[in-house]
Amino acid sequence: MRNPYEILGVTKSASADEIRSAYRKLAKKLHPDLNPGDKKAEEKFKEVSQANELLSDNEKRAKFDAGLIDASGNEKPQQQQRDFYRNYAGANAGARGANPNYESASAFSDFGGMDDVLAEMFARQAEARRNVRGGDLNYRLTVSFLDAVNGANQRLTLPDGSTIDVKIPAGINDGQTIRLKGKGEPSRGKGGAGDALVTISVQPHRFFTRNGNDLVLDLPVSIKEAALGGAVKVPTTTGSVMLNIPASSNSGTQMRLKGKGVAGRGDLLVKLRIVLPRRADQQLNELLKNWIPDAGDDPRAEMLP
Amino acid sequence: MILKRTEFIARVNIDEHTLETWLSEQWLMPLREEEGEAFTEADVARAKLIQDLALDFGVNEPGIDLALHLLDQLHGARTGLSLAKLRK
Repeated sequence: MRNPYEILGVTKSASADEIRSAYRKLAKKLHPDLNPGDKKAEEKFKEVSQANELLSDNEKRAKFDAGLIDASGNEKPQQQQRDFYRNYAGANAGARGANPNYESASAFSDFGGMDDVLAEMFARQAEARRNVRGGDLNYRLTVSFLDAVNGANQRLTLPDGSTIDVKIPAGINDGQTIRLKGKGEPSRGKGGAGDALVTISVQPHRFFTRNGNDLVLDLPVSIKEAALGGAVKVPTTTGSVMLNIPASSNSGTQMRLKGKGVAGRGDLLVKLRIVLPRRADQQLNELLKNWIPDAGDDPRAEMLP
Repeated sequence: MILKRTEFIARVNIDEHTLETWLSEQWLMPLREEEGEAFTEADVARAKLIQDLALDFGVNEPGIDLALHLLDQLHGARTGLSLAKLRK
């Protein structure tokens, strides 16, 4: 950071008037909006206006002179990135956010011969700009796991209170974006509205998880169901179905329900998990006390060193 | 981003009365929509320029009026020139 006195080209003893006048002389040449053709002006202008900000404030200037703050001003954050008017005018008049009301063609209306061509091009250009399509708008929408899997219609409320109906296609993934044609910013002319881009976040489910088009379900089964086998009720995303568990099924056994995955495209993988009765069961405990397991059947046999 | 009148006033940090003056002087000519004025980023940048002229440069009202008038012609001419260059 250069010394602000040097930047403005004034002495340390300069009066407030001298500083103001030095700043105005420099700013006239460097202000981007007063020098739309000078691309390098912006950086220099920032430096000059920062120096002016420091030296035109008596309190700050005194602090700087006393060495209490540095040339960048002080602890105050750097001035924000500033958007200049020239970024929306002249060659940049097509920029988003530009306003076609200001520019005038009168500067070359006396160019005999040439003016017709230029004026016509100017008018056509202005018309084209007005007719640029409106901008796209981004929204976020959170949907439940089941709505994402099965598809649904949801209503999105916009900041201005209006609503858009969003059709969630079955099987949409977390983070996917739905494009709603014509629901974005309106055009200033005949360009048609932009689109609304709705990014979907999918909430997790209590017991289903998703793996591509397959769904995975951890299914608790009782000791009796696991040992003797039998039909058990299994929830799917479209209602319950009965599943036949073979006798002697272990925890971790996986069974596949064809076509019960995401939107009929994948399968439902059911992973069995054996659970004990919720409350200690006297009868079961008695049974087990009297049960003498096969001497060779050690569940941890493979873990022994 | 399209700004409504109240949002524009807050963003540019001016009061209602100042805005009325700028509008009646036609220093600002916001686009109009059914619900009222629709200010764009160009209007915000233009308002900051007006503030620079008034505060930093000490330009009075007739001076600002003149500066904006010349600036709008300058930008029109620059557009014309860049179009002519494109055609060549």
